[in-house]
Amino acid sequence: MRILVVEDDALVADAIRRGLAKAGYAVDHVGSAEQATSAMESESFDLAVVDIGLPGTDGLTLLQRMRRTGTALPVLILTARDALADRVSALDLGADDYLVKPFELPELIARCRALIRRSRSATNSDLVIGPLRLELGAHRVEVDGVAVNLTRREWAVLECLALNVGRVVAKERLVQAIASWDEEIGANAIEVYVSRLRTKLGGATPIRTVRGLGYRLDDAAS
Amino acid sequence: MQPAEGTPSIRRRLLLLLLAPLSLLLGLGVFIDYLSGTSPIRTAYDRALREDALAIAAHLRDEDGNGRIDADLPPQAVAVLRADSVDSIYYAVRDADGTLVSGDGDLPTEPPRGDNPSFRDIQFRGEPIRIGSYATRVGNAAVTIAIAETTRKRVAATTRILTSIVLTDLLQLAGTLLLVWLGVRYGLRPLRDLGAQIRQRSARDLAPLDAPVPIEVQPLVNALNNLFDTVRAAAHSQQQFLANAAHQLRTPLTGIIAQLELLARDPAGAAIREQLLDLHQGSRRLAHTANQLLALARAEPTANTQDQFHELDLAALAGDGVADHLDRSLAEQIDLGADAQPARVFGSAWLLRELLANLIDNALSYTPAGGNVTVRCGRVGAGAFLEVEDDGPGIPADERARVRERFYRLPGSRGNGCGLGLAIVEEIARAHEAKLSIDDGPGGHGTRVRIEFARRV
Repeated sequence: MRILVVEDDALVADAIRRGLAKAGYAVDHVGSAEQATSAMESESFDLAVVDIGLPGTDGLTLLQRMRRTGTALPVLILTARDALADRVSALDLGADDYLVKPFELPELIARCRALIRRSRSATNSDLVIGPLRLELGAHRVEVDGVAVNLTRREWAVLECLALNVGRVVAKERLVQAIASWDEEIGANAIEVYVSRLRTKLGGATPIRTVRGLGYRLDDAAS
Repeated sequence: MQPAEGTPSIRRRLLLLLLAPLSLLLGLGVFIDYLSGTSPIRTAYDRALREDALAIAAHLRDEDGNGRIDADLPPQAVAVLRADSVDSIYYAVRDADGTLVSGDGDLPTEPPRGDNPSFRDIQFRGEPIRIGSYATRVGNAAVTIAIAETTRKRVAATTRILTSIVLTDLLQLAGTLLLVWLGVRYGLRPLRDLGAQIRQRSARDLAPLDAPVPIEVQPLVNALNNLFDTVRAAAHSQQQFLANAAHQLRTPLTGIIAQLELLARDPAGAAIREQLLDLHQGSRRLAHTANQLLALARAEPTANTQDQFHELDLAALAGDGVADHLDRSLAEQIDLGADAQPARVFGSAWLLRELLANLIDNALSYTPAGGNVTVRCGRVGAGAFLEVEDDGPGIPADERARVRERFYRLPGSRGNGCGLGLAIVEEIARAHEAKLSIDDGPGGHGTRVRIEFARRV
């Protein structure tokens, strides 16, 4: 896994580089948009971490150029500005996620991992979350290498949670995920499927109940 | 806002300046009409009396030439003279000694003054009369003839004329006053419209006034628009400054915090791990305070955040707020949940997110492990509410006003707080014209902080 870090502040760049390296990623660091463009032309990366406040061409312009040339590389935007307009325009321009400074290294690493996993699940049909391994095409689940039998509805709930790992998924959304098989599913039925999933998967991959909102599959490695 | 008592008013001023002189002028007109209407009547009736006096004089003779006057007045002539269906006619003829020659002895007879005959108004036999005195000579003898009539016919005629004149004039007066009042009212309408336009604006709206106004008011509107421009420019440069300050503060802080974290985890730093962790904590606190100060500056009214206001879904905001704090609540073993009913308000997403983050942050800080924190939103009356409730130890009633103060922290507070959280919440609530209240939580335990928006979308 190779990550390009585009950040002009030496102190921040060094910390990100070392933090990501410790988490097992190969990291290249450049300090400007121009250097980033040439690095991307010569090498291939799995993720770019781009600061908005770059000298010269800023991070949003870099992002815009990347998307215009059709680069599908996932981009995590870093910003020191908190104005909503910046976040909205970053997401509109095709950023996959953003993080506001000052952030904590573990948070950054977790976001990077999630972005890489998401982009890989789009091309590769396997999804690995801690001890959990989902073969999306075959609808197969393994926990620590041992296959687990799930009903179609249980699979649908787990798939929806796994594709949104680390994020809260509303009950209504899970209902919709199941509704393609059966129209008559109530929100209460979801509780039953989640409870069965918890039993079948064991405690290694916790599905949290978020009171009043829905469920969240925890990213066990974070 | 109702104008204070005694505030200068252009309308009142115009009405006063126009109505007072106009009323005087019209009143004078009525008086002049009265005079010019009544004097011909008086002259006509006086002339008739004079004719009577001359007729009496024609019947007087100085038979002997010795000054003794004989009145040759046949009863028929007297009857003709006195014949009047309405008024009573009186006369008296006296010689130079004042001896009554003929007529009513009790009628006061004085020589004429000025004109001959001259007329006066007096009382006679309990009634007002008009009396004329006429001096003439009969032969060699001087006589004075007094002729008088009661004033009933005159009063009746005067009253008739007066009634028609004054009625007409009063109608004219009323019509004029009404026209002036309506004119002033209509003429000042552009000013009222301008006032209404300004009143309808939000306190944060600094866009120029663009309603068409009369040229007399244009300078005022121009001055206001210039002021709006200046304030807008100042707000813009303040926001620029804040964005720059945020960048300049946050970037090095990010570096310091991340570097300290790496050092603390590095085996090489094992000997000073405690100090490194303290430094890490301190830097995080510093970053938190910097964030809070920036948030407070952005929430202040001078920040002019009007263009950031949009229609927002409070339920989505509540859900995001809970999701953002889920990791911390799990770490602190607090059950963080939501009870979000549909409600939409007009507001700034960034500011409300900041508000909610501060409320949840406070609730998590003051709730012990095993406790509950709930974010609620929904509709109330014509408005909407957003509240965060915890079942922690609560805020004592006498501290509730103080916790809103900047940098004030409850005695024995823990966590990363800098005492700006509720000040930010209050500032943001004010920016949304929403009401902030702090109450007991469920069953009298804990705290419930509630934001009530007056209007929902």
